[in-house]
Amino acid sequence: MSVKPIIEIRDLTKIYKGSDEPAVDSISLDIYPDEIFGLLGPNGAGKTTTISILCGIFAPTRGSITIDGLDIGKDLSRIKHRIGVVPQDLALYPTLTALENLTFFGNMYGLKGADLRDRIFDCLKVFGLEKVAHKKIYSFSGGMKRRVNLIAGLLHHPRIIFLDEPTVGIDVQSRFVILEYLNKINKEGTTIIYTSHYMEEAENLCSRVAIVDRGKIISIGNPKELVKEHPEFKNLENIFLHLTGKEMRD
Amino acid sequence: MLKFIYTIRKEALILLRDKAGLIILFLMPTVLIVIMSLLQEFGYSSVRRETQVNVLFLDHDGDSLGFKIRTGLMKAGYFNLIDSVDGKPATDSSIRDAVKKGKYVVGVVIPKGVTKKIRSNVKLMVAKTMAGFGLYDQRIVDQIPFGLADTITLYFDPTVKKSFQYGVVSSLKQYNYQIESEMIFSTFNQELAKAFPTYRPPSQSFKDAVEFQEEYPSYHEVERIPDSAEHNVPAWTVFAMFFIIIPLTSSMIIEREAGSQFRLMAMPVTYMQLLMAKVFVYLLVCFVQAVLMMLAGMYLLPLVNVTPLVMAVNIFSLVVITVMTALAALGYGVLVGTIAGTHQQAAAFGAVSIIIMAAMGGLWVPTYLMNPAMQHFATFSPLNWALNGYYTIFLRGGGLREIFPDTLKLLIFFLVMVSGTAFYRKLKNPMNK
Repeated sequence: MSVKPIIEIRDLTKIYKGSDEPAVDSISLDIYPDEIFGLLGPNGAGKTTTISILCGIFAPTRGSITIDGLDIGKDLSRIKHRIGVVPQDLALYPTLTALENLTFFGNMYGLKGADLRDRIFDCLKVFGLEKVAHKKIYSFSGGMKRRVNLIAGLLHHPRIIFLDEPTVGIDVQSRFVILEYLNKINKEGTTIIYTSHYMEEAENLCSRVAIVDRGKIISIGNPKELVKEHPEFKNLENIFLHLTGKEMRD
Repeated sequence: MLKFIYTIRKEALILLRDKAGLIILFLMPTVLIVIMSLLQEFGYSSVRRETQVNVLFLDHDGDSLGFKIRTGLMKAGYFNLIDSVDGKPATDSSIRDAVKKGKYVVGVVIPKGVTKKIRSNVKLMVAKTMAGFGLYDQRIVDQIPFGLADTITLYFDPTVKKSFQYGVVSSLKQYNYQIESEMIFSTFNQELAKAFPTYRPPSQSFKDAVEFQEEYPSYHEVERIPDSAEHNVPAWTVFAMFFIIIPLTSSMIIEREAGSQFRLMAMPVTYMQLLMAKVFVYLLVCFVQAVLMMLAGMYLLPLVNVTPLVMAVNIFSLVVITVMTALAALGYGVLVGTIAGTHQQAAAFGAVSIIIMAAMGGLWVPTYLMNPAMQHFATFSPLNWALNGYYTIFLRGGGLREIFPDTLKLLIFFLVMVSGTAFYRKLKNPMNK
């Protein structure tokens, strides 16, 4: 690709205090605009730590990161305006309504008034939640909560979205709506960095995936090409198992 | 600034939706004030002579000392003398038994002939003195021994405080000394009149050269006697306000565990902005809590026959000390909530540390009753500063100038706690702001 990367990661290493093993071990990676980039790996592989560092939540032990031309160590505040984060946890306030939750998170990005309200209702409509906008989150099903969780990271039209397991534990319909929407905003120019345990989902959604294990990238490329390169494994899941092994990690 | 306001709105909504939590936050401290004031009412009201202790009283003497003790105890106003047990006239053994069973806390038995013995000893002592002037035969007088001392028996319930016991014993001794003095004086007069027929005893009886006046120095122009409510309401208000750290730390840890903090930290907002909004909301909670407790002192205490809190104080100073106390409590909560890993840690450490600081700060035992080392430590407890500030307002009639040292200490404590929080977060993760 001749396009300038939107995310440049060089020698990224993270060693938590009290641990000998690095959670992220000398990762170097370029992610390009308009990509849906999948970070795949078993539990404890370092996916969430990598995303946390890219979002500016953890400081790396070593290495450099540039996001949209800005150095994360120097321009974190500006970077935070350009990124959206959808955490693995349902990071919502259960006693607030969907509208109140989304209004608050929108406010934190500097959005307010009628613009914010219109944006919230547009998103709620896309995800089939406009009728429950005034209902409290604790009364929502898992799939509904997951959709609100996703909307909270998209309200401010970020250039880059980090999604940590956005479809875990939800029904097929919710998953379909979420993935369809991610495809749509990607086509509109949003870069998506996404972690998942669902290999088939990643194979269909991602333009590129990196298989991560023990903090290192052990394979990277277009999922379909990876399958072509290893015809004996038939699909991404088999390649994944071949590369990361079959023993359980937690 | 807008983000601060939006966060305040969010925190307020969460708090207002937790009805059970609100009831606990506002009702429990009010109940605490009423119960504690009720429990401690006697200690203070006895000073105001409103409540009396029942004392079993048996006077075998039937003479001057018995009469003096009876009238003295009755006049003191602290005691209600009772001379029967279970409807039957009291006896030595029934008094002992009733106190042993906890039916009464004090019993007094005055032995038969005790006044007679005092009188005889006084006469002998006067005679021995007069013999020195040659008015009696020294050899004969010296051979007469003093009568053995009689014993007034006092029965105390084991739960009675030493200070109370000491007070009762002191009163009885005082009556005994008075009787002896009067007898010595009158016997001397009689003997002098016998020896010197021209001697005329003074027409006036002996008058005490020293009197005692109780005063409670204060900044008020009019002197007032502090009562139970003025001691209890501020003390338990301070205690309850510091317990705000339980819901505060809980809210912080819930946010962290649910992942909302993770999301917020990836947004263009700082932890301190979010935290200060939370502090602001909980500051209002503390303030309302304090107001409710004061109102309980004013209007609920009279309903349970406890002297009500009189709000004849500098209200602005009261607001200032309340806000500073709340800030100190919240600052402490913010640090505990940031460092604690779990709810259990925060709740256990928070509650126990407040109880320790309260005990150390003189909320349970007045600092003047502590040993010198503990009195020194008390000055390090923020609860002590807060309590002292309230006492300066309620008991000493002080204003802003008088509470300034305590409010300053509380404010500095808040700033140190918040700075400590920021430092701890930065130490843990250099990306934290």
